[in-house]
Amino acid sequence: MLRHNLLIIYRNFKRNKSSFFINLIGLSTGLACTLLIYLWVNDELNFDKFHKKGNQLFQVILQFQNAGTIEATPGPLAETLAAEMPEVEYATPVFDPAVLGKPTLSVKDKNIKANFLYVGKDYFNIFSFNLIEGNANQVLADKNSIVISEELAMKLFNTTKNIIGKTLEVKHQFFEGTFQVSGIFKRVPSNSSLQFDFVLPYMVVNEKIPSFSDWKNNNPYTYVILNQSANIKQFNDKIAGLIKRKCGDSSRTLFLRPYADKYLYGSYKNGVQVGGRIEYVKLFSIIAIFILVIACINFMNLSTAKASRRIKEIGMKKALGAGRKSLIIQYMGESILMAFLSLIIAILLVELFLPQFNEITGKHLRLNFKISVLLSVLCITLFTGLVSGSYPALYLSGFNPVTVLKGKLNTSIGELWARKGLVIFQFIISVILIVSALVVYKQIEFIQTKKLGYDKDNIIYFDKEGRVAENLDAFLSEVKNIPGIVNASSSAYTIIGSHGKTPDVSWEGKKPNNKISFGMHHINYDFIDMHDIEMKEGRTYAKDFGSDNSKIIFNEAAIKIMGFKDPIGKVINLWGENRQIIGVTKDFYYESLHESVKPLLFILAPPFQNLKIMVKIKAGTEKETIDKLRKFHEKYNPGYVLEYKFLDEDYQALYESEDRVAVLSRYFAGIAILISCLGLFGLAAFTAQKRQKEIGIRKVLGSSALRIVYLLSSDFTKIVLASMLISLPVSYFITKHWLDGFAYRIDLKLWYFIGAALITLFIAWVTVGIQAVKAAMANPVESLRYE
Amino acid sequence: MIKTENLKKIYTTEEVETTALNDVNFEVEEGEFVSIMGPSGCGKSTLLNLLGMLDNPSDGQYFFLDHEVSKYSERQRANLRKENIGFVFQSFNLIDELTVYENIELPLLYLKVSSSERKKRVNEVLEEMLMIPRKKHFPQQLSGGQQQRVAVARALVARPKLILADEPTGNLDSTHGDEVLKLLAELHGAGTTIVMVTHSPTYAEYGQRCVHLFDGQIISENMNGKFHV
Repeated sequence: MLRHNLLIIYRNFKRNKSSFFINLIGLSTGLACTLLIYLWVNDELNFDKFHKKGNQLFQVILQFQNAGTIEATPGPLAETLAAEMPEVEYATPVFDPAVLGKPTLSVKDKNIKANFLYVGKDYFNIFSFNLIEGNANQVLADKNSIVISEELAMKLFNTTKNIIGKTLEVKHQFFEGTFQVSGIFKRVPSNSSLQFDFVLPYMVVNEKIPSFSDWKNNNPYTYVILNQSANIKQFNDKIAGLIKRKCGDSSRTLFLRPYADKYLYGSYKNGVQVGGRIEYVKLFSIIAIFILVIACINFMNLSTAKASRRIKEIGMKKALGAGRKSLIIQYMGESILMAFLSLIIAILLVELFLPQFNEITGKHLRLNFKISVLLSVLCITLFTGLVSGSYPALYLSGFNPVTVLKGKLNTSIGELWARKGLVIFQFIISVILIVSALVVYKQIEFIQTKKLGYDKDNIIYFDKEGRVAENLDAFLSEVKNIPGIVNASSSAYTIIGSHGKTPDVSWEGKKPNNKISFGMHHINYDFIDMHDIEMKEGRTYAKDFGSDNSKIIFNEAAIKIMGFKDPIGKVINLWGENRQIIGVTKDFYYESLHESVKPLLFILAPPFQNLKIMVKIKAGTEKETIDKLRKFHEKYNPGYVLEYKFLDEDYQALYESEDRVAVLSRYFAGIAILISCLGLFGLAAFTAQKRQKEIGIRKVLGSSALRIVYLLSSDFTKIVLASMLISLPVSYFITKHWLDGFAYRIDLKLWYFIGAALITLFIAWVTVGIQAVKAAMANPVESLRYE
Repeated sequence: MIKTENLKKIYTTEEVETTALNDVNFEVEEGEFVSIMGPSGCGKSTLLNLLGMLDNPSDGQYFFLDHEVSKYSERQRANLRKENIGFVFQSFNLIDELTVYENIELPLLYLKVSSSERKKRVNEVLEEMLMIPRKKHFPQQLSGGQQQRVAVARALVARPKLILADEPTGNLDSTHGDEVLKLLAELHGAGTTIVMVTHSPTYAEYGQRCVHLFDGQIISENMNGKFHV
């Protein structure tokens, strides 16, 4: 029977070549999209999941009363948890000093910049980063030890053999020291949140920066391994008030989050988990399913539309005693076989487009055939086959043999509507994707072109280190003299993003329960000018006015919150010190446009707090100016590498997810409409063929070709228009919901929807029109003679 | 073998109710050859479909091999059908995607006959029908007469007790029509029960008995050439 079924399927494919290819192209494109999304989703879901003790691994999260949730915790927390809580097997602080810049590692005359972390002694017992040299219990026991990656070992020593015990020099913002290699680890997997080239013992930073040992500050992240019998709820209750017990501060409480959730469930609002990247994982999973269903619908529609060609076979088989089940198996087998044929093409398409897909998603996905992947791919394909075959199998196997043996196929209104309904569904999804792609594109364009209130172009920044750190002002004035450099300044952090907040601002009239936090920027002279931040009133920091160390500048939002009508000259108190307001900047968008402009203060920071050097370059002279700067830096700061970044790259990074969604949604919308139209093309061709005689008679009776085209297109136009009735309101709500995530967003304009509707209608018309014109231009005699 | 009591078939659409068969009482003994005649629309094919269990009656009883099958489910009917009944249709109803050999083999597949046995039986029938040279041809490559011979071969390959033939010569010229009737007569001679619907009085005479239908009722029967009203 299997052989018989395969034979029938093969000969049917041969007989209906156009349907076969429409189904093959549709299903393989749909499957290829789904496989790409599956690879991405699989990678996202497996992020941070490779740690052996993953189900016992947690991160301690800090919750401010009535304010935000942060990952930074008090420095002594890890040590305290390990010592005082019996549930804790291991605990480690992890401090990522990225904001302080990359250190330079030197071995003999080699100087290399690399990323690193300060970690506790049990770091390698907690996380499964494979040590190829050294013992997890020992590698970080000594404060002079350093554990480096294989790649770093190769770069520094040209080998990974026999380098344990060798020394290297590390130069960073606040210290220089000599460390002894105590271990080597394998490359950190790309699906790890923690990324580093080497680690240093946490006690190094603890000794250098005394505030790290204070319970009042929040610096390192804290990770713990709990024993298997630990009750998380009870443990959370125990640690909630730990900070209060240690330093009397009741505004900060602690709780645990599974480490495996760090990557996907990263967003918190008042201590409650509110999504994160998982939202995009869900979104793209849904898109994948919809695209696949759109492709399956083509198969359903073409199979049922062409049922009349198979009724004799069905009737005869039933008369010969075939049960409905065996017919269902036959038709399901047909669709499953089709799905597996499409899988072969889909795999080729995935291989072809994976590099581009990786570029868009920023991943390193590969199509491998591990058992788990293989099983998932087979399941997806089987699902495709079953969904595609379900309706045709039930429909075709349900025919009454008496009726179909007479050659009659009574198509009920219900069946016609089912087929139309499926096409409507395809176009609903397509239109929603088109509107979404359009809105995402417009919002991204808005973000890119919005006047931010500051200038981020042609500004590069790099770490302050070595001799530059010792002679900051002298370095800055010499840099300003380099031709092509417009201005130079320094600050603790770049202008973009939020880098710390303080609630410790008081002013006259402040209500006692006002806990408002102010964003803060520690800056040097010229910082505000070089970013072209406009002053609303007052002045910026300037050397002409003597020492500005006890002065302060706010943004408009801060002044509004404080309720000052005439702020210049007013005195406020910051961290217990009085400061006079000398200027108010106009509000500028220093955070992502997801956030509204929040109160912000600028204080003139002493040189040691300035961690970054900013240099503004004359537009069009970037290359030569940077070359000159590099030469100057080499001479001025020997033994240090100038590693710079453009400020607008940081701005782009704020919208990394949105940029990816924008590109992907464009592709997926295109594919959805392509597959939908492919189905429409097949249906239109079939309708034209079925109405061949009618068209012939109409033409003989004097109908124009245009009228015939209209006749054939109007039904499909109605279907596409019907889909608009549902898709346009739905896409309005979806895009509105997405835009609500931005504090600053475009207005949803009517033309986005009308535009998407017209695009879809146009594509549908072209698709159907090709068939309609072909039918209308045919010689009527041919069709009548044929009949 | 076949016995119907007050068999009724009513087709209902939204607007009209049509009685296709009305109180038909009809019997066929094992080994008989019965012809059914009557004008178009009188219910001949409906009766044949009910006898073949392709459809269920609206009322009345139908005994097939002593089973009362009028209330049988589709599955039960399919099982009885495949084991006992062969069909020959006016329009041949060969499956275009299958070769002559594969069309004839089809009933055996549903009976789960082993592959070697299938091969043997199909070849036997092909030989009997003188169709061996055509066994790899597709239906479209055959003449009408040849197609009907394949249809008859398909009907008898499973060695059914009963063959139901619905105007088997309707689409054939007289030479080919004669050929098919001779085949049916031979099968009858070998012991197969045959019920045949036909418009042709000549071909009706091949039966031992001729039943006349009019407006859904049996109005007369003639046996051995004599009318019984």
